[in-house]
Amino acid sequence: MLALQQVSKTFTTPQGQLLVLNEINLTLARGESLALMGESGSGKSTLLHIAAGLEAPDLGHVVIDEQSLSSLNEPARAKLRRQQLGLIFQQFHLVPSLNVIDNLTLQARLAHKEDGEWSAYLLDRLGLAGRERHYPEQLSGGQQQRLAIGRALAVRPSLLLADEPTGNLDEQSADTVLALLLDLVKETQCALLMVTHSARVAAPLDRTFHLHLGSLKETKR
Amino acid sequence: MILRVVLTLLSHYRRHPGQLAMLLVGLWVASALWSSVQAINATAKESYARANALFSLETDQLARSDGIALSIDDYFLLRQAGLPVSPLLESSLTIENTRLTVLGIDLLTLPASNGNSRTTANGGSLTEFISPPWQTQLSPDTLQVFRLDRQQALGATPSIGEQRLPPLTLRNDLPPNTLVMDIAAVWALFGEQATLSLVTASGALSQPPEGYRLTRATSLASPEQLTDSFHLNLTALALLSLVVGLFIVQAALGLAMEQRMTTLRTFRALGVPGKTITLAILLELLLFGLIGAALGLISGLWLAGKLLPDVASTLSSLYQADVQRSLALPWHYWLGSVAITLGGLLLAGSGVLWRATKLQVLALGQSYAWRFSYQRQLMRMLQAGGLAGAITLGLATCLSLLPAGEGLVVSFSLVAALLFTCALCLPPALNALLQLLQRLLRRRPLGQWLAADMQLQLPRLSLAMMALLIALATNLGVSSMVGGFRLTFLEWLDQRLAAPLYINATPSTLTPLNEWLTSQPEVLETLPTARGNTRLLAINSAMENERNANESALLSSIAVFGISTVPTLTSQWPLLETFDGIPRAWEALAQQSVFINEQMAVARALQPGDSVLLETLQGAVWFTVAAIYPDYGNPQQQLLVTVDTLMQRFEGELASTGIVLHSEADTDAFRQALSTEFDLSPDTLVNQQEIKEAATQIFERTFSITRALNGLTLGVAALALLATLLAQAQQRQRQLATLWALGVPRATLALLPLIQLGGLALITGLLAIPLGITITWLLVAVINVAAFGWRLPLQLFPLDIAVMLLTAFSVALFAAALPTLQLWRTSPRALLNEETQ
Repeated sequence: MLALQQVSKTFTTPQGQLLVLNEINLTLARGESLALMGESGSGKSTLLHIAAGLEAPDLGHVVIDEQSLSSLNEPARAKLRRQQLGLIFQQFHLVPSLNVIDNLTLQARLAHKEDGEWSAYLLDRLGLAGRERHYPEQLSGGQQQRLAIGRALAVRPSLLLADEPTGNLDEQSADTVLALLLDLVKETQCALLMVTHSARVAAPLDRTFHLHLGSLKETKR
Repeated sequence: MILRVVLTLLSHYRRHPGQLAMLLVGLWVASALWSSVQAINATAKESYARANALFSLETDQLARSDGIALSIDDYFLLRQAGLPVSPLLESSLTIENTRLTVLGIDLLTLPASNGNSRTTANGGSLTEFISPPWQTQLSPDTLQVFRLDRQQALGATPSIGEQRLPPLTLRNDLPPNTLVMDIAAVWALFGEQATLSLVTASGALSQPPEGYRLTRATSLASPEQLTDSFHLNLTALALLSLVVGLFIVQAALGLAMEQRMTTLRTFRALGVPGKTITLAILLELLLFGLIGAALGLISGLWLAGKLLPDVASTLSSLYQADVQRSLALPWHYWLGSVAITLGGLLLAGSGVLWRATKLQVLALGQSYAWRFSYQRQLMRMLQAGGLAGAITLGLATCLSLLPAGEGLVVSFSLVAALLFTCALCLPPALNALLQLLQRLLRRRPLGQWLAADMQLQLPRLSLAMMALLIALATNLGVSSMVGGFRLTFLEWLDQRLAAPLYINATPSTLTPLNEWLTSQPEVLETLPTARGNTRLLAINSAMENERNANESALLSSIAVFGISTVPTLTSQWPLLETFDGIPRAWEALAQQSVFINEQMAVARALQPGDSVLLETLQGAVWFTVAAIYPDYGNPQQQLLVTVDTLMQRFEGELASTGIVLHSEADTDAFRQALSTEFDLSPDTLVNQQEIKEAATQIFERTFSITRALNGLTLGVAALALLATLLAQAQQRQRQLATLWALGVPRATLALLPLIQLGGLALITGLLAIPLGITITWLLVAVINVAAFGWRLPLQLFPLDIAVMLLTAFSVALFAAALPTLQLWRTSPRALLNEETQ
């Protein structure tokens, strides 16, 4: 589903060049879940953004569903993101001008893949039923994150990329949200790449990788 | 502690320099335009005050009842009769295109109340003033006409043609462009060319002497009274700029407050008293106010300096009111300008202060429910709009009850109330429209997002949009008025100037000249004109029964203009209203009827068919008003009669003669022959084209300041929109970045803000069109009548409307393009990682 081949990324900082990703190789099959761990500033989010086509690697390739992102132009990458990818951010990035149901179905509608029944099911599963007409600022942090998960899943993505999806939540809410996310991932049979710094969050996922000084290492369990 | 709070509050602007720029730009432009107009008004008032002091309103004037000019014999006669009259000799001279009034006074007999009696009060010697070589007194600002400075001025004797002026001496209380000297000096310089008038202390004569007419001081309009409406126009435009500028300030303060709410709550949580926070915000406002006032004053004075010469020319051409060309500002001007800026800032910041006093510590960390607070705000706006609408209706009713030509202040208030009504109703209207759009675009997610996101931006944009609506509508109103006036005026000039050649000579030359012209084969038609005066004694109106003209009307004379009713003129002469059709009106004019100008019709509430009792050489005679004609730019009420009627019945004399030559005639040869025959100077013969050019030039100069202020106001509104959009550009990027992450291509993203803001500005522009047309109508049909006594036809210029729409659209596009460009250049990673606020 996802393959990162020899991906490298360097940032220019006031202190000089900083190699964040050094020839990273990673594959992720459909239905598989993978946790990406590392210290703050280790490049986890950068790797996730490169995988999503939000950022281009300096070297190497990203292949999603047998399509190399480097061979696609920007509109084509956007289309791929719209139709096949689900993105969950730590800061939720909900659209404040849209209500719950419009936020949840936004990407699905952009991709012309809206499915009313599936949306209603997601709302129910996410515990947001009855809140359709509410706006993001009227929801709690946990509810907002559940809504962000719902938005990513409403499009029935083949690859779900989550950046610290529980990072802003308390322990109890984090557990609930994570359990829900994994349930839904199982149901939809999509691949999941999740960035986290918590071993507790990483534990239920199929595999765990550590990013350290630009290199990726799988943690054996 | 308070210093720490202030410094922390100010640190916000280090992270958001755009907001600081927006705030200062708002204050700067609001203060600059206001200061500049007030500087112009203050300078003009200072000049008027000096003119009033000189030509004191405390002196009555005597004139002969038979209309013949006063002579020295009249003076002797009246003095022999023991009447306390004083002679004044008046003449003028032109130096480097500046007309100087030369006033000769007799200090020994001048009433003490006249400003000139102070001639020697400043330590000058009476003997020096009244004895040869006499003195020429002038104000320091008149020196520039002679290209002299203060050091060179004293004792200088500038030459005027072959003669020299008496030695110059400075007098600060004299109005600009006025030279005062002893009556003997004026006689020596100008001889019989100078006009004699006789003045007496106000109230010294209870009755005019037999054969004379007394004009009371109270019936003489001062330059200040005459120019009141002009200055009111300027003040209204400046006030508009001030309001628009303060809209920017309020938007900037609101945005800064919203973003600093967490900081304020943190302060409260850390134990800073609420009063200290309020005081800190107040200090911050004071600091900004002082900076804004200083910037505004500097640029306002610069602008006033640039505009003043044109304003002075306008006032001189329109009202014969002399205003100095350099700024003269009293102390209260400086204080007033700073006070207006600070007052405006406090008014604009009152909402922010109120929110600071109501700050809830427990709301710490709570996200702001903008949507709901904005709904409340919209409701309040709608209520305020309703109130402003009621005031508009009330003012309109009040205006309709006033006699035509009255209620200038009410008219301006009506325009202001109408503008505010529409501005206050704009955000609720836009909100409703966007809500409807959201529903209609339910199936189009991007379209729905466009409308929903726009609705979310509306709280921050609404003030800028209100300012834009006001500025666009005013711009359209004023430019249509000026454009319409220009067209009407030029057309009217064409109609009034029917002859290709005009002769302006003394009556003694014109009488034989007219006879000579009739015998010339080249001459197809002669169009003599005459001028005179009469008094309106009573009015017999169809609306009311006979009424006496009021006291002031009885004392003030009405100008009479005589024309010849030849087809060349009558076929073109514009008439606004007639009693029985245009041909019958001209027939009536040749008999016992008069035409009146629009100014007189408005001021006296006269209509065609009414009668006026006029003083004639044969006694009081009733004349029927056969028609009303337009007389643009004339500050006086005027009657039109035939030249024959004027010469037979009224006190008057020939004024000019228009000549129409056969098409095959050699115009140059004819001019030459005419000049030789009557020894005419070249400037006596005026070509129609020259008159039109001169008139057009005066017209253009008259409206140069209006155009400048109008353009600047629109510029301020454009800045308001731009500054508001730039201030929230960062937040816009976050919204767009989210969409980009969800798979919307960058090219589409780039279009979204352009569509949103361009659309919103276009809607605002479209709404400004009917409002602008209404304002045009109020300007031409209500305010103009109240200010000048004549109305203009309502004319609209589609090109101007298109330019206005394009301006609004372009500003919005430019402002929207910047965040888009930034989005393009900023790493999306950075945007997505930014903390959402």
